[in-house]
Amino acid sequence: MNHLPRAALPLLLALLVASPPLRAEAPPFQFSGFATLGMVATGQSDVRFIRPSINHPGAENPDFGPDTVIGVQGNIAIGPNANAVVQFTSRENALGSHEPSANLAFIAYRPTPNLTVRAGRYRVPFFMLSDTIDINYANPWIRPPTEVYSLNPFTYLDGVDLLYHTSIGGVNIEIHPYFGNTILSIYQGGNSHLDSARGLNITATTEHLTLFAGHAETNFALKWSGDDFLMLSSLLHATTPNANAILNDLSGNKGFSTFSALGAQWDDGKWLLIGEYSRLTSRRYTHDAHAWEVTAGRHFGNWLPYITLARHTEDSPVTSGRSPVPQVDGFLRAFTAARNLSQRSVTLGTRWDFYRNAALKLEFNHARISGDSWGSFFARDPMNARMQDRSINTIGASVDVTF
Amino acid sequence: MLRSKLAPATPRPARRAATRFFGTVLFAAAFLCSHQAASAEETAIHIHLVAAADGAISALTQEEATQIFLGRRTSLGNGTPVTLIDLPPGEERNLLYLTLTGKNPVQVKAYWSRLVFSGRVRPPLEAANQTEAREWLAKNPNAIGYLPASVTDPKLKTLLTLP
Repeated sequence: MNHLPRAALPLLLALLVASPPLRAEAPPFQFSGFATLGMVATGQSDVRFIRPSINHPGAENPDFGPDTVIGVQGNIAIGPNANAVVQFTSRENALGSHEPSANLAFIAYRPTPNLTVRAGRYRVPFFMLSDTIDINYANPWIRPPTEVYSLNPFTYLDGVDLLYHTSIGGVNIEIHPYFGNTILSIYQGGNSHLDSARGLNITATTEHLTLFAGHAETNFALKWSGDDFLMLSSLLHATTPNANAILNDLSGNKGFSTFSALGAQWDDGKWLLIGEYSRLTSRRYTHDAHAWEVTAGRHFGNWLPYITLARHTEDSPVTSGRSPVPQVDGFLRAFTAARNLSQRSVTLGTRWDFYRNAALKLEFNHARISGDSWGSFFARDPMNARMQDRSINTIGASVDVTF
Repeated sequence: MLRSKLAPATPRPARRAATRFFGTVLFAAAFLCSHQAASAEETAIHIHLVAAADGAISALTQEEATQIFLGRRTSLGNGTPVTLIDLPPGEERNLLYLTLTGKNPVQVKAYWSRLVFSGRVRPPLEAANQTEAREWLAKNPNAIGYLPASVTDPKLKTLLTLP
């Protein structure tokens, strides 16, 4: 990853000043893109910052993996009432690869001016800011607060959704039902599915205020196949009478999850206020948890300093099963702790829009990991990790562009 | 609430890399800002919204224009679909969005990037200059664009003059 920044910066600057050739007619095809060059450094040498299930735990410090991303998008008009959109994104994934993936690939049709039907691949719309998770230029932070946005690491759904717009008393309302499936590869082997994910989002927007409410339900499968899980599995079978019950809590294809979110955003050009609450319940394979974040920022010309408070809390663990053998029980608890994201944090940051399509962001984050958790950090030596109740500082810097 | 104090400085290799990174970025930013400042000058202009003289769009209210330039509508009240033509970044474009939406150029860019990269709204077509915008507007019966009110074209009609 270390070679990436040197190669990427000249490319980003070239894109900033590029100008298109003259065309005699309006083109039916539009090309656009976005990119972030971002680094994050942790203040303690035995841990690395990670966006759980999104990027690969890095060895470098600072690490350019969690936030650096580039995306390109094509938009093709198909007559006056339909269009196709394809968006490819390259970022470090959980396997450590930068292989581009399609996060948008759909055809949209508008049978009436207020209704859009989309079929194909679209963003998992669980959060208020789901559409812009990778488009950091559109957000004030380097990245959306991990406490909230790590509750769902899935990026896309393959399926169908509807976007219905109406207006009531000057309030613009979007009603967004959706249905689809998705799959995600996970670090250390295995994959996770959402099958028949269905949900409904309602967004109300006025000139300065946006209110969001969403709820989703989905069948859920999680299959671990990494060495640590295989070792845990064989140790449990050898030592623990209820090994099958514990393993059925951790891995399988009989899960069911619900996801709910409430959000609000105020931006009057002077003050920026953002708040979001989300809650995950899961019958198996992942813990029940809730999370919230609040952000307050103040615009000073092209500068936007801000503060964010955030917290992720586990409501119930993945499994309540225990092993009678202390060493095996310790391994089991370490396995589940690495997947518990509970922490709270305060972030101080600023955004500087130094060019018409580019922003520089600097952030300082102070996180405190809660109880039996690894939070948004990964131990470089997992077998000897002591993560519980630690406080960890990170600094981050990024340049975001759109083109 | 959070009890530990500021962490010690990052390890030396990290600090060196961070210094190089910030240095490069700040140099680039300073260069680009000075370039931008040199090209911007304040002059008093008025903007009018225009469409093809023989096109499908005959009238437009300021409220409709605001909704369309915020990407909240892609058609008029009678169902006529609309294609937006943007001028390149500059004084006319800034004035148009400030008057219609109350947003400055930075806010407009961030706002539209949210819409465009969600795939929900087709971004406005950006012409390279006023001449290209006039050609596109004249040839596309569903296009709405904007020009300085001092610019008139027999192939175009004025839908709305902004205050």
